[in-house]
This record gives sequence, structure tokens and C-alpha cells, in this order.
Amino acid sequence: MATATYPPPPPFYRLYKDYLQNPKSAPEPPPPIEGTYVCFGGNYTTNDVLPSLEDQGVRQLYPKGPNIDFKKELRSLNRELQLHILELADVLVERPSQYARQVEEISLIFKNLHHLLNSLRPHQARATLIHILELQIQRRKEALEDIKRYVPKNIGDAAPN
Amino acid sequence: MDIISQLQEQVNSIAALTFNTFGTLQRDAPPVRLSPSYPEPPPNPTEDSANFADQPKLMSAALVKAAKQFDALVAALPPPEGGEEAQLRRIAELQAENDAVGQELQKQLEAAEKELKQVQELFSQAADNCLNLKKPD
Repeated sequence: MATATYPPPPPFYRLYKDYLQNPKSAPEPPPPIEGTYVCFGGNYTTNDVLPSLEDQGVRQLYPKGPNIDFKKELRSLNRELQLHILELADVLVERPSQYARQVEEISLIFKNLHHLLNSLRPHQARATLIHILELQIQRRKEALEDIKRYVPKNIGDAAPN
Repeated sequence: MDIISQLQEQVNSIAALTFNTFGTLQRDAPPVRLSPSYPEPPPNPTEDSANFADQPKLMSAALVKAAKQFDALVAALPPPEGGEEAQLRRIAELQAENDAVGQELQKQLEAAEKELKQVQELFSQAADNCLNLKKPD
């Protein structure tokens, strides 16, 4: 990959010299990218998925498994957080030089909390989609009813002269 | 704001309250006598000591209130309805129903437009007849 401070624009414009006369002489636009791609030196993927906590090197405090009871886990993480805050206050009073461990525990709990909330998002997206589809079906049915109601009524009125 | 964003905001505000609490207490705490061998700290009867005794109470009350609000928001989450597959199945069902209703709507719409054209045709004929009958005197 060539890098330059002020690179020139890509040279593809030369391929479209005769486009006005013959639209087929120029190449088709490239197809959409699938999988991973490199952009400005960074690797990106087209499959947007939430990376699990282990991938980020963070210990997962709530149990893994297919169906997580989000409410229960969120509440228990909240209680753990409160307990750790109290522990931090204690440590600051008695052994002030050992605060780092407690601060790390607290940040671990926060990371777990945010990861739990983020993993609720796909569920929310699907629920939103379901709701939108239901609304659309309802509107279409209403339009259907309106047409059925108004059109036969007017046939009798339009008597041929 | 939707419930998940509210929960995320609440988590962030709990974090902010936590570090504000500890930071303020550490910054404003009056000096304390560590051991009998050191002399007493100079007494500083500024406005610090008057307001300072309330600070821990107020700030811890705010922290507890934020935690309770988080619990209330968690309780307000909608109940978990089945899993991912159930949702995907429902989406497929709704899409099929949407397509069917859409096609029926399209048919009815075409029929109604045809009738509209017929009625317009009839009206124009009637109008022509009226114009032809009315001869200028």
C-alpha cells in the first residue's frame, strides 16, 4: 500500500473517456465489499457483531449460557457495585496505599454492566422491526378497508346519463 | 430516550457520582491527628467544618438514590420474550403477511383506478352530450 502526504486522485477517470459515445466501453462499478477490508490502514469488518468480553481481555462476572436473565444479572451487578464502592471507602480510610485493586474491581464491574446492556441491543433492534412490520400491516389493512368501503358506494352514484 | 439508553446513562451517572464523591471528600477533608507523638493539627474553623460534615451524607444519599433509580429502570425493562429464533420466526411471518396484504391492496387499487377511469369517461361523455344539446340561440 503506497502512502504519500498528498496523493493524487485515483487514475480511474481515464477509463471513462468514451463514456458518452459508448456507455459499455467503461468498466462497471466494483461490487460491494464483503468480509473484512482495510481502510486507512485499519482492518474493518462488514459483519458488525459485539465482541465478547474475553476478546477484550475482561473477566466476565455474569454467567454465560444461551438465555441470560438480564434483569436479575443487572440487579446483582448493581449490588456488587455498591458493595465495592463501600469497600473502596474502607480501604481509603484504613490502608490508603492499596486503592488500586479496589478501583480495578469497580471498573471491571462497570465494563460488565455496559457489555450486558450492549448485548441487549440486537434484541431491541429485532423487537423494533417486529413493531414496525405490525404497524405497516395494520395501515395496509386500513387502506384496504377504506377502498372497499368507498368504491362500491360510488358505483351506484355514477349513473350513466 | 429508550430504556436501554436510559440504563446506560444511569450507569454513567453512578460512575460520575462515585468519583465526585471520593474526589470531593479527599480534597476537602480537614486534617486529622495520626498518632499521639505528632502535635495536634492547627485547628481551622473556616466554613469547611460547618458544611463538611454534611457532604458525606448528601453525596452518599445521592449515590444510593442513583442506584435505586437504576433498579427501577431495570424493573421497567420489557419481559424477555423467547429467544432470537422466536423473534426471527415472527419477523418471517410478519413479512409474509405483509406481502400478502400488500398484493391484495395492489389488486384493489388497480380495480378502483379502472373504475375511476370509467367514471371519468362517463362524465366526459355526459358533459359532451350536455354541450351538444345546448344549441346557441
